[in-house]
Amino acid sequence: MNAVNTSPPVLPMAQAKDYKSELKPIWCPGCGDFGVLQAIYRSLAAIGRPPHEIAFVSGIGCSSRIPGYTTTYGFNSVHGRALPIAQGIKLANPDLLVLVAGGDGDGFSIGGGHVPHAIRRNTDLTYLVMDNQIYGLTKGQLSPTSPRGLKTVTSEYGSLEEPVNPLLYVLAYGAGFVAQATPADMPGMTEVVEAAIRYPGFSFVNIQSPCVTFGSEEVQVKAQRAQMKSLKSLNHDPTNRLAAMDLAQHYGHELHTGIFYQNPSPPPTLDSLVRERKAALSGKGVPRQKIFDLLLQKQ
Amino acid sequence: MTVENTRAIDFETITLMDALDLATLVEQEAKERYSEFAHQMTTHHNPDAARFFLRMIQIESTHEVRLADRRRKLFGDTPKVVRREMIFDIEAPEYDEARSDMSVRRALEAALTSEKKAFDFFDTAVKRVKDEGVRQLFTELRTEEEEHQGYVVAELAKLPPDPANDGSAYEDDPVALD
Repeated sequence: MNAVNTSPPVLPMAQAKDYKSELKPIWCPGCGDFGVLQAIYRSLAAIGRPPHEIAFVSGIGCSSRIPGYTTTYGFNSVHGRALPIAQGIKLANPDLLVLVAGGDGDGFSIGGGHVPHAIRRNTDLTYLVMDNQIYGLTKGQLSPTSPRGLKTVTSEYGSLEEPVNPLLYVLAYGAGFVAQATPADMPGMTEVVEAAIRYPGFSFVNIQSPCVTFGSEEVQVKAQRAQMKSLKSLNHDPTNRLAAMDLAQHYGHELHTGIFYQNPSPPPTLDSLVRERKAALSGKGVPRQKIFDLLLQKQ
Repeated sequence: MTVENTRAIDFETITLMDALDLATLVEQEAKERYSEFAHQMTTHHNPDAARFFLRMIQIESTHEVRLADRRRKLFGDTPKVVRREMIFDIEAPEYDEARSDMSVRRALEAALTSEKKAFDFFDTAVKRVKDEGVRQLFTELRTEEEEHQGYVVAELAKLPPDPANDGSAYEDDPVALD
């Protein structure tokens, strides 16, 4: 047996540095997103698709800078609108590997309405949410995942609201792959992101990526390392959706890492259904150049 | 059998060539992380910490080159099979160690933590390996990491304690309400 296992597809020959752009991150020193970016580089290297076959879409926020730090195609779009843009890209060019990155505010506040539709359509893309429970870029306001009682510049006496539970949210809408990770466990986070990308369909990873500037000491990486519990160590069966939902209810109280749910029989993706429909209608449809003429005739 | 913070490396059967490549990559990873930290500190107007991290780049680079030379002398240009993707923060300081306002003392403490991590890594690995040459190499590297800790501790002893940071430097000036 070889000492070093390099057999594909675990570690093909692409290198993490192939996905690293010349632009250097300008996040606050200590930000959790630095680790997330490393995990993304490594996951992409393990997948082995060349950068020109990958599109990385984001919204607005600290974590939404990520596409610029990679050599893939990138689209740093509008606040909360990364998912519709990513779905459009995937439909226009289904051969692309499509990744989406954003924060908890981007994904579960202004963009919250897009999440269920991306899930129910089962577009084959990977959505990475860097959940820091605060709006960091705009200097520390309450976000949809801020815990009740959190004191911020917009909640001086403590938040009165219950947070959104991103894990339960996506599980309830039927996402086929749901996981949670943290930069406190780099090998674990890399493994989970890679598995999410490999999943054929909508996959979601909630990454507890602490805000070093506006987050308290209790949520930083060192504290996470002491609190985190791997789902593998709990003998969780990732094919059991109800067990996943049960565990997901502990969001905000316990830090579970790993795969909550992975559909063992992934349903067809939207892009594969579109391909099928196109093939079935091939020759029967109206040629594109005639569509406008038909519209004019009906008026 | 793998060791924590590595992937796809079997330490029971690792060869000397792979072990040398692994050790070189450990130093390379640390050098690159210090380079990132130096950039972060420069961006956040902390020249003292940036200078310290620039010094650490030179030190880690020297170690990297020395190990790479040794590998070349023993094994020439035989293709490498150990890759950067197989290791995670073995000697590299973790991203969480950096702070925009970190003092040189705190930067040294981060370096000390990294040297301890590297010591622990080689200490664990040396107990797993079967090849005598690899065992000697890892023992030697473990000793070096211990020596490096001594240098950092000596440097720390030369520094005055950090002033207490009560956060007042970051508070906004009072605003008149009338």
